Amino acid sequence: MSSANRTVGHIVSSSSGISSNLLHMSSVSSDETCSKRASFVTQSSGILRSTAFREYMKENNTSSWCTDSLSDFLDYTENSPVQSSNLQIMSSEDVGKPNDWQDWADQLIADDGGASPNWNEILVDTPVADQHPKMEYYVRKPSKTTLSLQLNTPVPASPREACTPMTPSSCGSGSQSKPRMRWTPELHEVFMEAVNKLGGSESATPKGVLKLMKVEGLTIYHVKSHLQKYRTAKYKPESSSQGPSEKKPTLMQDLPPLDFKTSSEITEALRLQVEVQKKLHEQLEIQKNLQRRIEEQGRYLQMIFEKQCKFQPSSSILDKSETELTNEISSSPSQSETEPGPIKLGLTSSEKQQEADYSESQPSKRSKLNESSSLEL
Amino acid sequence: MKFGKRLKQHVEETLPGWRDMYLNYKDLKKLVRLISSSLEYGKSEAEFVYLLNNEIDKFNVFFMEQEEDFIIRHKELQQRIKRVNESEPSSQEEYEEEMARIRKDIVDFHGEMVLLVNYSNINYTGMAKILKKYDKRTGGLLRLPFIQKVLEQPFFTTELVSKLVKECETIIDELFPTTVVAVEMKEAAITMVGEGIFKNTVAALMTMKEIRKGSSTQSHFSLPALSLPDTELIRSFQLNSPIPTI
Repeated sequence: MSSANRTVGHIVSSSSGISSNLLHMSSVSSDETCSKRASFVTQSSGILRSTAFREYMKENNTSSWCTDSLSDFLDYTENSPVQSSNLQIMSSEDVGKPNDWQDWADQLIADDGGASPNWNEILVDTPVADQHPKMEYYVRKPSKTTLSLQLNTPVPASPREACTPMTPSSCGSGSQSKPRMRWTPELHEVFMEAVNKLGGSESATPKGVLKLMKVEGLTIYHVKSHLQKYRTAKYKPESSSQGPSEKKPTLMQDLPPLDFKTSSEITEALRLQVEVQKKLHEQLEIQKNLQRRIEEQGRYLQMIFEKQCKFQPSSSILDKSETELTNEISSSPSQSETEPGPIKLGLTSSEKQQEADYSESQPSKRSKLNESSSLEL
Repeated sequence: MKFGKRLKQHVEETLPGWRDMYLNYKDLKKLVRLISSSLEYGKSEAEFVYLLNNEIDKFNVFFMEQEEDFIIRHKELQQRIKRVNESEPSSQEEYEEEMARIRKDIVDFHGEMVLLVNYSNINYTGMAKILKKYDKRTGGLLRLPFIQKVLEQPFFTTELVSKLVKECETIIDELFPTTVVAVEMKEAAITMVGEGIFKNTVAALMTMKEIRKGSSTQSHFSLPALSLPDTELIRSFQLNSPIPTI
């Protein structure tokens, strides 16, 4: 691991995930492997994958604009010496799969083209506050110039580090070192089994549970917070996850206008409520699928457009008639799997309706797209 | 500012603990307007991206916390039902009371999960819109690649929550006796949309319809309008609500 890597990794270690993304972009000058990026990414933005879970960085503050995070990590940079140990904690269960954030950073850089952001400027030079005085959420001007030097250091490619499980001790300062964990029912089952073996939620300790669970990459912080949630759920069923600012769910005996309602009326009302909720959920799923397909199609069209550009100089594309291009697009056989053409079977009637609405609007859009494609895409 | 207004309305009506967790659409829009007149394009874009990432992180953290809670509560509800059914029946009345409580709890739980999926959706929609505005204003190409990554974020990959919702529905079907329902019952039910999760889910459904009413800038990236056959019925819930919904 080069010293440059180490330095960058160190900067990232205490910060929020956003800052780490910043640094990703700054230090990438050419195509780099995901493995190397994994080495910068400490547990603060560490994204591990194993069969059961993914970890994500935990936000320190929950305020909307995280104004402090950038200045926080810059302060950290000033005070702490470089710790190479931070980098060894990268554990990646699957060498082949890059994590989402890295991919994102890749893509963003790749697509930036000529307008790549100059991170040094942002972080060191002109204070952001000066440009947009009205926007209080802007990050305060960082004072350190050492940051820019470190960011500028080119980072040579290196193979992915060997997997080592993360431990709390190798993290940076305590509160900033807890990556987010995405729990699953299966993982929860394992958790519960461990808790039961230790005599139940009250007597089980986080350390004991962690040991019993034997899940690689799971930290005591994860277990601790999960155990806390678990205990709350057991103690106060159905009022557990609502924050302190929320009122408790209205118990049936507390609803004054309903005192006189018979239980069958209440049951009926609940039935109705479920129907509405089911409907909302159904619509949400349809909407999400449509949104995915829209983006898929957009990507597909852009790819086609780029291919055209490659094979013919751009001027001839504009010369081509709309119908020619549309025909070329629709007749492209290799794209059949991505082409959002025929309506899927097994859709509910409302989903079919919405898909039909969407597809109907497409042919005309496609020709419009060809017209203005050089501008839009 | 159609979407902006709808979003604001939704945030005001939503569960109190969730209000700070939504997209800062208004501020981002202001920023986009400022950026378009800014000369330092590269820097502005970086700042914009930085803020968007902050938002995404915010969504992810909140979403995963809720998801974790749902996993735990889902299991607990199942165990609670099991306990009630397996334990010695203390008295028919007490059994019925407990079952009634469980029914209420599980229906509200179902609603809360659906509201989380709704949360995810609204924030995604907002992001897509703001990115579109950005590209339009600055002539940038940020939208397409950025949105691809948003699609893969935890807050948008709601499959697990949806699965829990469906499992919940199965349990609910078992818990609710299938009986013929008289008209008076239905009317009584409609008047029950007061406070609580039911109010939120009805509101969310109506908001969704409003947001999808038809884009002023229809393009191949726009969703078609939402057609709800029961719109009138659902709207009547809101009218009957003792708490006025704006």
